[in-house]
Amino acid sequence: MTPASLVNPDLLSHGTLECSDTPATRRFLTEFLGIDVIRPLPEAQYLSKGGPWTVVCVRVDGEQKEQGPQNRFKLAVASAAEVDAAHAAALAHKDAYGIRRIENVEEKGGIRAFRLQDMNNVWWEIANLTQKHYDDAFARGDYKQ
Amino acid sequence: MSAPVMTETKPAAAGSHVKPTALISGTFVTRDLKRTRRMCEALLGLECVEPEQGVLLIRERGHKPGEKLAGQPYWVLEAREVAEVAVPQEMLNHWGVFVASQAAVDEAFEKITAQQKEFGLGRVQKPRFRYGSYAFYFVDGDSNWWEIEYRTPELLYTSLRQKGDQVDPNAP
Repeated sequence: MTPASLVNPDLLSHGTLECSDTPATRRFLTEFLGIDVIRPLPEAQYLSKGGPWTVVCVRVDGEQKEQGPQNRFKLAVASAAEVDAAHAAALAHKDAYGIRRIENVEEKGGIRAFRLQDMNNVWWEIANLTQKHYDDAFARGDYKQ
Repeated sequence: MSAPVMTETKPAAAGSHVKPTALISGTFVTRDLKRTRRMCEALLGLECVEPEQGVLLIRERGHKPGEKLAGQPYWVLEAREVAEVAVPQEMLNHWGVFVASQAAVDEAFEKITAQQKEFGLGRVQKPRFRYGSYAFYFVDGDSNWWEIEYRTPELLYTSLRQKGDQVDPNAP
């Protein structure tokens, strides 16, 4: 039986990021990253790619705070080859979409991935992840010391 | 007030450079993984697992085999233990959970405020209405901000996606 907690949420519902140029950010998110975006409010866009959760993109004035790569959002693609294709596309279209930094592709434990920092100082990771990766991790339980 | 711009939501990936299958995870860091795990489980009511030393995976409860959400997609937060938080976070970079009612937000606020020190939390802000939702924020011991939020059914993200853009996407 699950122990009682102070809060009993229905959903781990959202994360947030900041942007300054809403239309330019949307072009990057939709045309480059392939994320679905709606704009329900003048100051906010909601990002999604399946599932009931979202990432809220809030418009702020001025330069966004620098985000470290340890705080980032991960996008799953279907294969290692798609990771490489995304990396090549990032290099080719870096200036067009205001991408600031693109790290090299790395592979660890069968997961191939790279990170990039967008025009808003937000870091993204593109990886050949699947939900099965997480299903298996939760099913295995805690690592044994 | 100008009329809302009603444009149908159009999936983005067809012609995009990256072709994602999911926005699958968000990441953050902590100086004390055990403290973060305790907060996520005992305070936030989330499910956690440590697949390797220094890494914590977090999702909502209910996805185990036989449970009500088994087989449904979920979002994962990945926390990694670090010696120092290199880039402290601010309120506009937060993680959120939905609860079932406005009363549940108030109840969570009372309980969290009462155990603020026990969980090593910083500020716990009072609940308030904003854009139709009712919510409050608090910050943990590593500068990570969290939101406890209630939204009426028409304001859930899935409902808003059905409505599409309410504001011209090309407007500044």
